[in-house]
Amino acid sequence: MPKIETTEKALFSFLGRKYSDQELEEIFPVAKAELDGHEDDVIKIELNDTNRPDLWSAAGIARQLNSYQNGEAPLYDFFSTKDESFDSEDRSMKVENSPCYRQYSIGFAAKGHVVNNEDLLALIQSQEKLCSNFGRKRKTIAMGIYRSDLITYPVHYTSADPDNTSFIPLGMDEKLTLREILKKHPKGIEYGPIIENEDVYPYLVDDKGNTLSMPPVINSSSVGAVEVGDSDLFVEMSGPILKNLLLAASIMACDMADMGFEILPVKVEFDRETEFGKEITVPYYYQEPMKCTIDEVNKTTGMDFTGDQIVNALKKMGVFAISDDKEVFITVPEYRDDFLHAADIVEDVIIGYGLNNFEPEMPQSFTMGRLTPAEELGRKAKDIMVGLGFQEMMYNYLGSRKEYIDNMCVEGDKYIQIANPMSENYEYVRPSVIPSLLESESISARAPYPHKIFEVGKIAFLDETDNSGTVTRNSLGFMSADSLMGFNEVSSIVSTLMYFLKLEYKNEVLKDDPRFIEGRCAAIFSGEKQIGIFGEVHPRVLENWGCSMPTVVCEIDLDTILSL
Amino acid sequence: MDIDVKNLHPLEVRLLRHVKMGEDITSEKLISELDYKVGQCNQAFSWLCNKGFLEEKSRTTRTFFELTELGQQQQKDGIPAFRIFTFLKENGQATLPEIAQKLNLEKSDVGSAFGSLSKAKVTKMNEEKKAIVIADDLPDNEKLIISLIERGVSGAIEENSLTAEEKKAMLKISKKRGASNSAFKMIEREEVVYILTEDGNNARDAIFDANITGEELGNVTAKMLSDGSWKTGNFRPYGIDGPTSKIIPGRHNPYGNYLQWVKDKLTSLGFEEFDGSLVENEFWNGDALFMPQFHSARDIHDVYYVKNPSHCKKIEEPWLSNVAQTHTDGWNTGSRGWGYKFDHEFTRRQIMRSQGTVLSARQLPNAKIPGKYFGVARCFRYDQVDATHGADFYQTEGIVLGDDVNLKTLLGLLKLFAEEIAGAEEVKYVPGYFPFTEPSIEVHIKHPVLGWFELGGSGIFRPEVTKPLGIDVPVLAWGLGIDRMALMHLGLNDLRELFTPDIDSVRTRRGN
Repeated sequence: MPKIETTEKALFSFLGRKYSDQELEEIFPVAKAELDGHEDDVIKIELNDTNRPDLWSAAGIARQLNSYQNGEAPLYDFFSTKDESFDSEDRSMKVENSPCYRQYSIGFAAKGHVVNNEDLLALIQSQEKLCSNFGRKRKTIAMGIYRSDLITYPVHYTSADPDNTSFIPLGMDEKLTLREILKKHPKGIEYGPIIENEDVYPYLVDDKGNTLSMPPVINSSSVGAVEVGDSDLFVEMSGPILKNLLLAASIMACDMADMGFEILPVKVEFDRETEFGKEITVPYYYQEPMKCTIDEVNKTTGMDFTGDQIVNALKKMGVFAISDDKEVFITVPEYRDDFLHAADIVEDVIIGYGLNNFEPEMPQSFTMGRLTPAEELGRKAKDIMVGLGFQEMMYNYLGSRKEYIDNMCVEGDKYIQIANPMSENYEYVRPSVIPSLLESESISARAPYPHKIFEVGKIAFLDETDNSGTVTRNSLGFMSADSLMGFNEVSSIVSTLMYFLKLEYKNEVLKDDPRFIEGRCAAIFSGEKQIGIFGEVHPRVLENWGCSMPTVVCEIDLDTILSL
Repeated sequence: MDIDVKNLHPLEVRLLRHVKMGEDITSEKLISELDYKVGQCNQAFSWLCNKGFLEEKSRTTRTFFELTELGQQQQKDGIPAFRIFTFLKENGQATLPEIAQKLNLEKSDVGSAFGSLSKAKVTKMNEEKKAIVIADDLPDNEKLIISLIERGVSGAIEENSLTAEEKKAMLKISKKRGASNSAFKMIEREEVVYILTEDGNNARDAIFDANITGEELGNVTAKMLSDGSWKTGNFRPYGIDGPTSKIIPGRHNPYGNYLQWVKDKLTSLGFEEFDGSLVENEFWNGDALFMPQFHSARDIHDVYYVKNPSHCKKIEEPWLSNVAQTHTDGWNTGSRGWGYKFDHEFTRRQIMRSQGTVLSARQLPNAKIPGKYFGVARCFRYDQVDATHGADFYQTEGIVLGDDVNLKTLLGLLKLFAEEIAGAEEVKYVPGYFPFTEPSIEVHIKHPVLGWFELGGSGIFRPEVTKPLGIDVPVLAWGLGIDRMALMHLGLNDLRELFTPDIDSVRTRRGN
């Protein structure tokens, strides 16, 4: 979940008045936001909707909340469309010979507002959140803000040779080649991996050859150094998905307009055909109108809304809408791209109307409650084990190679291994309950004996016959450890268990199982099927675990019993 | 003084009834007159002294000599000197080894006995190196030993009763410790003499007044029941606040019990349980839930990948095609889709199940309408393990399918959960966000102990989730965060404790 920080001053200035923490807490849910903290002048906010990058800034949140308070959708008049483009005057960009892996770059300009300290922090944060969360750590969106007054248009987005192109990167004072920047500059080290293996690197340069940046890595130290006091800015986005860039540009443009900037369009010419044409003027509005039927809204909400009620609820969400007696038509806000389906319109109606204004009702249909057969058998087995004096345990299902393989003296070739373990402690999926039980024994020597414990839980291991190549089983494992504990004791317990599970069984010799003492372990068969094993744990296994009491274990496959 | 004599032990009662003020009370007396065992004497003295009913008058040490097993054997067979003397007398000459073999004696015993006989000039070694008898009678010393052993048969011999000569002989054939090779064991007994105190005398009177005999019935025995002897006796009351012995019972795990309780609640509300495999694939874990393969929402679910096999063999049709098409252009769901090319390799990638909602997705193609389903699913997350994050943990999730299902019934269901499962006093609904539901709603409750907190997330499945899986009615989806309530229920504050392997910790854990 994205988290942002803003100063009180900035947020309240966008909101038009001060809010108490309690007021913020009450109204924030409209933006799916939570007040995460408020210390001194800094307000921390957590945003839950990962599909609403427009909310990841103080301006964006305030825009949503203001609509809700006023019941009016905000108006932004600087968006060009495919039918109508604003005059970009002399401001233009040429995308020429761009890298095949990051084909697009777009931009717009802004003027008329002197950047103060809060603005600068807000701009950097918006850039950061959009590129990091929405842009997947700059993989799909990289953004740069530049000093427009130093730029000679058109700006060129092109490919550059990593070794024959150089400029002074922001934060350094010597000229480095693009490849050197990747190795030496902190941002180069952080974001370099996105491009380092490519033959050419993305490069943004003005018409006079002044470097703007090497997206997605770093700006130049001259044109790319925006400071407090600047008032003419150029904002540029690059990446492989044009639509995402346009959305990010729209969000930035609206935020900056809310700050007090005048947004100036920039004409972008591509070197190839795009879904929006070969030439577009940015900020660019590309959304199609959406509609949903009043019936759809009412079926989902269980209400009897009129078209007007729906339109008013949508306006409170900042969505301009009109309706006839059957349908509602909306204009998707420029800064949003989360209307995929009529269901998304319905949700905005619900939030705009107020979730707590809906009266809860009970579902009326009759359905039968039922546990799975495995749960029912598991409960039966648990009750028998408890009656036999055993303590039920519950264990984690991930463990280490040492626990599941080395200590048990087994090969482990049928065990499921995690490809990306966080630590070696959680590298394997539990193939059996037995190692879990022995872990208990190994750390519980001080607990009064006898130790009689069991678990009914899941185990999983490789099985070629399954589509996944693995199988998950419901398993019962028990362990008994005491100074006088051996095969006869465990055999008696198995016998009692089988009697009450109503299972005819016979023990067969279990061979070549290094976990047990040879000749003191058995496979339990019911009919033709093996349903479990039990026996005396081999002293070498006990030694590996650091256990010092004679120990017997048994494991029974409950799913096999269910299949009998 | 108010003396409660009802709780006196029969050993105490019988003692008190038997003695008089000023009279010397010793173990010996109780053993001979009341038939007490030594241990019983000690118990009675200890208890009564503690109560202040008896006090010690004097303490003297007396030494006794008691026959050992060897001594008893020698009493029957004769001492080695006697047996060698008799043997040689009857059989003439013999070598010492011959004697040892014939009489089944240790060579060393034969050697020392022969030595002392020879010293007393009763036997000697002849020229052939064979032992022969040269006197008619045993030496006095040996006779004395034989008489001491004979005396020992009727009980321990007190040191004072021995003459100086006897005493000298006794010390040679007795030992204090390690006496198994000697005929006698020397025992020092401390004899303590007790007398009744004033309180003891009062207690004695009270016992007679209350007509307590010390013959009251103790444990109820099978014999007592079969012969009916209980009918003529009185049952002795027991002290009821004495120490108890610890019992290790067989027991259910309290966390397991709690989950079982939640499952029972849900089945009572008409929900049917579902379950599934721990290993999942990206298709069911994310794609079928309309989470775009590229979207940052997928970062929420940092997952564990299965090393081998890294991919499943296939994804079931027609679900794969339907879902892939829905991601691309919305298929026939009414959605515009995510507008990207669905990755058929990625979708088969195998992971450890990261969210319980997978089971809901898998249930959809087979679901009854109307239908209610739930599962308590073990899930895995790539997280640092700490007090609030486990490597694996339970999620409780479910769905409700039906034509009559809508926002209001969703709110009703959440209210029901809040009241029935969480015991909530107040319920609050907040817009939420989940990639697979629209609308999405969080339910917050005011819990009597925990205060306001988020009980769970819910919503109505997006048509992009339900339609590709063959469902044309609305589906409510919900998940409850019951771990927090489980911790409170168990009086714990660390999630890791729920799965602790510590036997003692689980054995002693109680639920609320």
